[in-house]
Order: sequence, then structure tokens, then C-alpha cells
Amino acid sequence: MKNKLFEKYFVFSPYFWLVLFFFIPLAIIFKISISVSEWGMPPYQDIFLFDNGFKINTTFENYVYIFSDYYYIGSFVNSLILALISTFFCLLIGFPLAFYIATSNIRLRNILLVLVVIPFWSSFLLRVYAWKIILQNNGILNVILLNLGITSEPLQLLYNQYAVIMGIVYTYLPLMILPLYGYLNKFDLNLIEASKDLGLNRIKTFFKVILPLSVPGIVAGSLLVFIPVVGEFIIPEMLGGSDRLYYGKILWEEFFVNRNWPGASALAFSGIIILVLPIVIFQILYSRWSQKNEI
Amino acid sequence: MDNNFLVIENISKSFGDNKVLENINLNISKSEFFGLLGSSGSGKTTLLRILGGFEKPDTGRVILDGTDITNLEPFKRPLNYMFQSYALFPHLNVFNNLAFGIKENFTQKEIEINVRNIAKLLSIEHLLNRRIKQLSGGEQQRVALGRCLIKKPKLLLLDEPLAALDKKLRSKTQLELTTLQKKLKITFVFVTHDQEEAMSLSDRMAIMKNGLILECSSPEEIYENPKSLYTANFIGIANIIEIYKKDENFYSDDLGINFKLNKELKNTKTNILLRPEKIKIQSINNLNTSSFNSFSGEILEKSYLGSFTRYEIKIKNMIISVLDQNFNSNSNYNFPKGEKVICSWESESIKVLED
Repeated sequence: MKNKLFEKYFVFSPYFWLVLFFFIPLAIIFKISISVSEWGMPPYQDIFLFDNGFKINTTFENYVYIFSDYYYIGSFVNSLILALISTFFCLLIGFPLAFYIATSNIRLRNILLVLVVIPFWSSFLLRVYAWKIILQNNGILNVILLNLGITSEPLQLLYNQYAVIMGIVYTYLPLMILPLYGYLNKFDLNLIEASKDLGLNRIKTFFKVILPLSVPGIVAGSLLVFIPVVGEFIIPEMLGGSDRLYYGKILWEEFFVNRNWPGASALAFSGIIILVLPIVIFQILYSRWSQKNEI
Repeated sequence: MDNNFLVIENISKSFGDNKVLENINLNISKSEFFGLLGSSGSGKTTLLRILGGFEKPDTGRVILDGTDITNLEPFKRPLNYMFQSYALFPHLNVFNNLAFGIKENFTQKEIEINVRNIAKLLSIEHLLNRRIKQLSGGEQQRVALGRCLIKKPKLLLLDEPLAALDKKLRSKTQLELTTLQKKLKITFVFVTHDQEEAMSLSDRMAIMKNGLILECSSPEEIYENPKSLYTANFIGIANIIEIYKKDENFYSDDLGINFKLNKELKNTKTNILLRPEKIKIQSINNLNTSSFNSFSGEILEKSYLGSFTRYEIKIKNMIISVLDQNFNSNSNYNFPKGEKVICSWESESIKVLED
């Protein structure tokens, strides 16, 4: 009986954690987002007023403000596009790699897996900073290009959206490879041989057999990359320039520079809803589809 | 009959230092049901995979119906391969699994007709809309077979076609497979480690060991006249007795008796094979005994198998297996354990194994 109770607490403790550090803060953010802003500390009014009897002091002004200014929506759209492009490149690079790892012999496989994970052993910040050094005007890449005579003057490789995409793809690649590997590992290689035996060449075999059976891994890896990239702050901040503004940076500025807490909260809350709702709907539809198709 | 429909010529294959196949030569006729029998590691599956195009041989050629297919990709070979695991596509239903190989070159209507025909042939019409996971092992085997046969291959390769089925289903499917093969007249080459399966399915079979073909002949010939000690032991039950020349006759130290052979021997010492069903077992009271080709021994073990009784009979240093057919239903006919009996055989039943 005691053990049963312990089991229950043990299993459900992560949920308590989630409630404590995700749902409660989320509720606080929502509360701030519907508060009226003012100068002061904290820079918003209480939502329950008791001066002249009980009064609820809420407003949707902050949401109206955010959605009426393209500055905010545009940054969110930029972040979505960035996440889409990064996920696409992670998939493009990660899929063949994961497939190769999953189908190689055990010794080579373990070495390759360790190589994928090794970057995690050093600080994320350091790795992004290293890219800054590589890409800067007198950085190693430009030095090589100049010495080879490929360019006559240093290229502006840093502080633009391409540097951001590169940094993100580099950082998030393992998050794509590992779940993909997890699914491809279980792949019955006889299926590929069977497809070839039945007359399909390599390309057709890929699209008719390998790809459809890899969908769960592709979905898992893509979500793992896509969702955090939308809110990514550090990489655009370090490698990006003023050519494109991203959601994470705008949020930071609204909060810490403009000290518009209600506006920033409204922005954060809208972002979560816009991102989470379609993904939840997608997950429901997808689980129905995969149940039907027994993948 | 065209003996050169499938020609396997000097095929060798190594994986690293491991020689898997050494100089394999085989000729297989059109419409033949050919078995490759061997224990695991004998190289039989590698040979089948070379025929399927999944492995490239180090040396040698494979010629199918006059065309050299050695370097053709699997998807360009006019043959099909049935995998031991069946390798059915889990994301497709039975219909689409069957249609998988013909979708490219056929119209929707032709596909429909072809799938229905093959499903009818294999009695799986009622399963067409099922998912693969909803099928039993036997049904999966039929779908795998149908998926190959729908392509009308010149040659069908089968890797352990019955290994995944339970025993009862296996004997039923064995019969169906031979009937189907004779009806379609497609050349079948299959691999198995099960000697009974090889005997019952094959028109001819090859015994493989350590990358070599030891013998290639009809099941009857291999059972009755095996050329090597290995084959004699591998196929069926074998009593192997060492004999040597002594005076006019041959003598076995293990049994302590004389043998009379109906042919001359090259060597003075050799192994002979005596199949257990060739030995006649009689009561000790029977006076019809001779000094040659017979012995008296004691029944050590006895197992009643229905149509046969198998006795293990001890004589001197050896235990000889005897299969005795149960002619009448009189239970007294069986000899009890511990009884002394006389065993005898014809000279013609002794097979000399000259390695």
C-alpha cells in the first residue's frame, strides 16, 4: 500500500514540476498581459481593485496594440520562417546522416553516435561564439578565402540572417539526428531490398518505402527543432544583424528595454497560443493517421 | 529439358577473411524446384542473395535464360526474392503490397485485375483490405508469395519459405507450394536448413557445407546413395559403421560381426551406411540367421511413432538405430525394452562411403 503511494508520487512528480514551473508562470504572464500598464514598479496595475468597492481592472489593449503593429507580427512571422528553413536544413542534413548511422555496423555506429553528441559536452554559448570568430571579417574563413584568391576583400559573413540560419542548423542538428536515428534503427533493411527486388530503383524506393516509414522520426525530430527555434534568442542576438528582427529579440526588448511588461506578456502569450494550438491539432490528427496506418 | 536455364559459374565470395562461397557451379533447369540445403554458415543464403542481386560475387557469373545477370541491379533482374521475414510493407494494405511491383507499368484497371487474379490463386481474396499486422503467419507468407508471383518472374528465390510457420501449417503449405510451382512452371530455388523440407519440396537439391557444394542430386539419390559421410549423417538417420578387410570378407570391430558386400572395394578400410529402415528386426527364436549381415543385440530404447517404431539396439560397442514398420495392429508385435533380438539386412542395403 505504501509502495503504491510512493509509485504514484514518483511517477507524477514531473507533472507537479510542470504545474509549478510552467502552468503557474504561464497564468501569471496571462494575468500581466491583461493588466493596465503604468509607470512604476511593477509597471502595471493590479487587476483587482478594492478602493471604491470591488472592481476588476483588466484590459485587452495590450493584445490590440500588438496585433495592430506589424513590427510585432512581422517579427513572429520572421521567426516562423527561420524555424521552417532551419528545420528543413536540419532534416536535409540529418536524415541521410541518421540513416547512415542506423544502417552501419555496431562499432562504427557507436563512434558516429558519440560524434553527434560530443558538441553537447561544451557550452552552447561558447560554440555559438566560436562561429562568430570563424565568420568575422578577419576570421579564419575570410583569411582562407583571401589567401586562395577566391575573394579580393573580406566577405560580410556575420550579422545577417544567413549566419543565423547556419548557427541554428549547426546547434540543433543533433536534436534532429537522435530521434530520427531512434526510428530508423528499427527499420527492417529487408524492406529496401524487397522494394528493389520488386523493380523500384533507389530513388523510388526512398519515396515509396523509406520516407513513408520514417514519418514518425521526421515528425519527432522536426518538432524538437522547430518549436525552440521560434523563440530562439541567443543565436540571432550573437550572429544576426539588423536585416531581420526575430520574435525572441523583440520580446526581450519589449520587456527589458521598453519596460512594457503587459505588452511583452501579451506578445509571449499570443506566441505560445499561436504555436501550441496548431501543433496540438496536428498531433491529434497525426496520431489518428498513424494509428490507422499502423506505423 | 533445358539444363542451362540458370547457370551458376565459378561463384566465389568472401566477407573479409571469411570465405563464404568457394567456386560454386550449378546448373538448374527450367521449371525445376531446386533446394539448397545446409546448416547455418554453409553459405546457402549468400548464394541465394547473389542470385537476387543483393550481393556481388568476387568471381564467377550468373546466367539466367541466356543472359548474364551477374552485374545487374536487383530491380533490373527478371526474378523475385521471397524473404524469410517476408519483408511486407507495414504502411500498405494487402492490396497495395501485392500491387507494389506492378504499379509502374500497369494501368489502374490492369492492376486491379492482376491483384484479384493472384489473390484468387492464393485464396487471399478476403484479405485485400487488411493491414499486414492483422494477418497470421500463413497469410503473410501467401501475400509475400503473391507479391513476387504477380510480377511473373522467370525465377523465384525463396529464403527459408516455411521456417516462420508452425509445424502443422508447414506440411500443408509444403504441399501447396509444390502444387503451385508445378502449375505455374516457374523455376523455384529455395534455401533451407530443414532436411525434411528440402526432401519433400525439391526436384533436385544441393547439400552445402562451408561454402562448398558436397552433392547435388535428387532427394532419393542423396538419401539412398550419399557420397560423403557428412551427407549420410545430415540427411535422415544414419548408422555409420567402420569396416575393414579380413580374409574374404569385411569385419567390424565395433559390432564384432562379418559383412558381406556385393561389390569390390578400393580401400581395405571404409565406412558404410546402413539406413535404419533397411534393417529387419526379428525375435531371437527365429532360427533363420546367418553368420553374415546380421547380429543379435539388446533393445536399449524404444519409441513408438505410430506408423513406425524406432529401436535403439545395443551390440558390443555400438548402438544401432532401427525403424520397424508397424504392419499389424497387434501390440504384441512390438518388442519390449531389454529384449534380445536379431537384426539382419540385405547386402544391397549396405552403402559404402568412399570419401
